[in-house]
Amino acid sequence: MSNETLAVPRRDTRSFSLAGLADRWGLLGFTILLLIVAALATPSFLRPSNLQNLLTQAAPLGMVVLGQTFVLLVRGLDLSVASTMATAAVVATAFGATSDAIIPAIFAVCILFGLAVGAVNGLLVTKRRVSPFLATLAVMIVLQGARFAYTKGSNSGALPPGFRELGTGMILGLPINFVALVVLALGLAAVLQLSAFGRRVYLVGGNPRAATLGGIDADRVTIACYMICGATASIGGLFLVGYVGLVDNWTGRGYELDSIVAAVMGGVALTGGRGTILGALLGVLILVVLFNLVILLGLPVELQLIMKGVIIIVAAGLYVTRIGRLS
Amino acid sequence: VATTTAIRPRPALQRAWILLIRQLPPQLPIVIGLLVLLFVVGATLASRFGTARNLINVFEQSAALGFVSLGQTFVILTGGIDLSIGAMVSAAAMLTSGLIDGEPAMIAPVVVGVLVFGATIGAINGALTHLLRIHPLIITLGMAAILQGASLLYSRGPIGKVPLGFDVFAFGRTFGVPHGSALMLALFIIAGIWLRFSRLGRQVYAVGGDPEAARLVGISRARVLIIVYAVSGVMAALTGIYLVSRAGVGEPMLGQGFDLASITPVVVGGTILAGGRGGVLGTLLGVFLTSLLNNLLNFLDVSTFYQWIIQGLIIIVAVAAYVERQRHA
Repeated sequence: MSNETLAVPRRDTRSFSLAGLADRWGLLGFTILLLIVAALATPSFLRPSNLQNLLTQAAPLGMVVLGQTFVLLVRGLDLSVASTMATAAVVATAFGATSDAIIPAIFAVCILFGLAVGAVNGLLVTKRRVSPFLATLAVMIVLQGARFAYTKGSNSGALPPGFRELGTGMILGLPINFVALVVLALGLAAVLQLSAFGRRVYLVGGNPRAATLGGIDADRVTIACYMICGATASIGGLFLVGYVGLVDNWTGRGYELDSIVAAVMGGVALTGGRGTILGALLGVLILVVLFNLVILLGLPVELQLIMKGVIIIVAAGLYVTRIGRLS
Repeated sequence: VATTTAIRPRPALQRAWILLIRQLPPQLPIVIGLLVLLFVVGATLASRFGTARNLINVFEQSAALGFVSLGQTFVILTGGIDLSIGAMVSAAAMLTSGLIDGEPAMIAPVVVGVLVFGATIGAINGALTHLLRIHPLIITLGMAAILQGASLLYSRGPIGKVPLGFDVFAFGRTFGVPHGSALMLALFIIAGIWLRFSRLGRQVYAVGGDPEAARLVGISRARVLIIVYAVSGVMAALTGIYLVSRAGVGEPMLGQGFDLASITPVVVGGTILAGGRGGVLGTLLGVFLTSLLNNLLNFLDVSTFYQWIIQGLIIIVAVAAYVERQRHA
């Protein structure tokens, strides 16, 4: 059965197709070029401490991007990720800063919370046919209100000290949160590329009608993708507060847009059905390196914003025109 | 309702009215019902809510939301979205107070210049949306980042000042009618007529409703997109000028939140995000509904936090209810 599914000729998303190869190497080439330019532009870029910094900063965003990729693949969009991150962090403070032993429990509860948020998003999008944009926008606002009503607007609550270690610590010279990102990414990439569920994600995203006619419960696949996104956003939120060291009502603000920008830059199509985890993470790397360069070169921080805007438009434009030629 | 079922030929003006009523979105009765319900509930809960004085205040305060929502309606009708509105409002406000800088003689040229600036940025949004064939969400987000970054480079805090009397736009009233809201109402009427009866108006609906058909009948998608995004840009710039008139100075975060806020009235008013259906009348009612609700919640001392929750729930309920209706229709 699974072999038959594989044999169906369709627009290929796998690494062994020529088009896919060109996409991926093009992106990889651009990333490498950017790294070389960065190294030439400022010698401090390649210093180990800077690279460690870079990866530490990239990790929470990377986690959010993982889930966002799943949602984008099924033609969705999740604007509630930043709100989910902050709310998960606030939920975590409900346990108090007792001992590190409760960290796994905190993660479990927050992941469940993220899954629940994702389920609401997914149900609205599938069962009520609300556009993903509006559904997740509304959920974002509701979460924001609930969070502020709970904290009364203050930066209340503390977390066990171990969170700081998770957010900023090193293991074998690599940031702990980056290692966590790699593990999470490998797991989700395996799900996407090797499992039957992963194939369904691409089928539903590539052609929902055909997928439904082929006996796939498209709604269930879509809901699952939103749930994955909620979970990774929660995890990203916990690692981000670990890095920042403070639970703020606006934790992760801007990540909803950054996560979409990174994924799109990494070749995940907004129209669904096309893109990979690796590509999306390369998108994160490009974004973070560019931001890092602005700081290292001593340019005004505001340039980051302008640059982000220009890259979004240029990169997405280039990518789309390239896809247009390939298919 | 009775007029729409009559068969006898009617004079042109009356036919136009019938045409207008027939083209109204089916969601309008819901919005009107909600408005009435809100008014009755509000008047019962808070004694001063239903007074003419309060209602005129609500009307006055709805001007800014009205401007941005009007522009957003044009864009959404083509199936697009403009998320650069908030940043455009900030940029326009900063340019207004920064360039006028207390000089009365500069008011006219700066106001015109800022409106042209808004139109130009909007036109670029539209042109890029057409040329690059990426979702306008991405394009306008990119433009928002560029505008916001440029605004912050210009100044990290409030900049410039406006002469005394510039606040006549926001706070002035003629025969008891607030100027800003009167302008808003006038713009809504012009926009409504333009969309319903002009060639371009029909093209806007065509591009949003069925892009392929629109292309086949020779409608220039580029032209339509450039115009609707330019309209949105002008309205955002106007909002920036209005806010300077209200606050006395422009600052880089003044427009924050306006892009998302501008979507709520449009959607509540029955315009569909996919494009091609809806209209400015629904948006106007949506603006009143949103403003009236916020006013009532303030009267009831409901904290901003719960207001957010309510706003989110309204979007969900409105959209979910409309979708259900469409499926049955």
